[in-house]
Amino acid sequence: MNYWLNHHVQAIHLVLKRMQYNMLSTLMICTVIGVALCIPGLFYLGVDNLSKLTNHMQDETEISLFLKLDNSNDTVTEVGEALAKSTLIKHYRLVTKDEAWQQLKSKAETGSEANSPIAQLNKNPLPDAFFIQSKTSDPADLETLRSSLQEIPGVEQALLNTEWAKRLSLLLQIGKKVIFFIAALLALALLIIIGNTVRMQILTQKDEIEVSKLMGATSSFIRTPFLYAGIFYGLFGGLLAIAMITCVITIFNQSIAQISNLYNSDFSLTMLNYPMFFTILISAIFIGWLGSYFAVNRSIAGFKIN
Amino acid sequence: MIKFDQVTKRYPGSYDALKNVSFSIEAGELVFVTGHSGAGKSTLLKLIAAIERPTSGTVLIANQNISKLKDSAIPYMRRKFGLVFQDHKLLYDRNCFDNVTLPLRINGLSGNEAKKRVRAALDKVNLLHKEKAMPISLSGGEQQRLAIARAVVSRPSILIADEPTGNLDASYAADIMAIFHAFHQVGVTVIIATHDALGMSLRQTRVLNLNHGVLTQVALSEPLNAPTEVFKL
Repeated sequence: MNYWLNHHVQAIHLVLKRMQYNMLSTLMICTVIGVALCIPGLFYLGVDNLSKLTNHMQDETEISLFLKLDNSNDTVTEVGEALAKSTLIKHYRLVTKDEAWQQLKSKAETGSEANSPIAQLNKNPLPDAFFIQSKTSDPADLETLRSSLQEIPGVEQALLNTEWAKRLSLLLQIGKKVIFFIAALLALALLIIIGNTVRMQILTQKDEIEVSKLMGATSSFIRTPFLYAGIFYGLFGGLLAIAMITCVITIFNQSIAQISNLYNSDFSLTMLNYPMFFTILISAIFIGWLGSYFAVNRSIAGFKIN
Repeated sequence: MIKFDQVTKRYPGSYDALKNVSFSIEAGELVFVTGHSGAGKSTLLKLIAAIERPTSGTVLIANQNISKLKDSAIPYMRRKFGLVFQDHKLLYDRNCFDNVTLPLRINGLSGNEAKKRVRAALDKVNLLHKEKAMPISLSGGEQQRLAIARAVVSRPSILIADEPTGNLDASYAADIMAIFHAFHQVGVTVIIATHDALGMSLRQTRVLNLNHGVLTQVALSEPLNAPTEVFKL
């Protein structure tokens, strides 16, 4: 146990010393790993944020039913009864023109522009409206429901307002698959880059490996420092990727906050969460380890003492 | 300790480097392996140190058959040996102290015990004052002494040297041989391959003479011109 621990501590010490000695090349390889991991990470975060936005919209598979402006209160009740009979409707909510008018006016008053066109209106331009939650989320059923609602007398327009969100979410699913492939390809590239770097290191340490073998070093003794080198490349590259992603998000969030403000929304990009943080770090470390494992096993197997 | 029985070694696509060689070396012996260059001296040492395996015949080291040893057991077998090479095989990217530390690291030894042993080994070859020096700044003789310090630091029971004085002039060579004799005297089995007679200058030592891969002579060498300065250690 003590021997084992000692062996690893020494290997880590040796690797860190070598890395310090070759600072420039270490920095370069770590940057390569960082950038390569940063790209799919950023794409993922972008898609993730967009899909959060659309998911939120999709949860409200809502049909807006606007009644004709000149409807009497009786028509409103009739439409309400018709809605209550429908089996496809989960529940509905009536917003009368007066309620909507009050809401709009109070919003205009609290808003920054006191002289907005709304404040200057003296007649209510709004219709009565029903907001309907459907039991189904199937697009075809929703469309059937929408057209049947359109047929109810006194209805001006039935609007299915989630259609575009649905399409976007499907597109985003494709986007996620694309990211997966980009990530897989970049991982493969990283594997080769790290493997090659470690192979070069093995070549520069050829003398030491030969002498160590002559003195009875086990393969594990020779292999361990190189495996740690791969692990450290992955670790530092991963940390660099996380730092870069955080920087990019922070910079983008400043602009996004401005846009969101214009839309009266507090939407902003979410920062890296812990699962994402550890996914990036662990996959980086794993790729580093695997790359050096392949390189070192190939090199040691082909290594002859002469 | 070491027993060769009908050992033949053939390199792929080549002649027989060793043909039907049989001999045995007891623990604590000092043995010279002589012969012209290409006679198979190096091959013999490589077989002893488990660097090569015999094509046929058996090599027994401490009652273990080298041919039947698993690959994973070879490193542990090699730790019984201290190896010294004609070209030193020192590592030029680190100082003397770190060069000598390497075998101890391989054996899993570190800390103060390791430092003590490294200094003791450097002291034995009179290089203690150069522990911080880089090997490249040492003379040929000093480099070879450093290589010996590295070979003995893990206290192997068998010391094997392949042409240790090959590149050195006579006085340096005498220095080196004296060190080997000193180790022999404390009970280490010492096997030295050499083509020059200087090494065989002391007392009664056994000589294995090879000629084109054939062991021609197992003899006790006669004391020749024992140089006086040899014992200055």
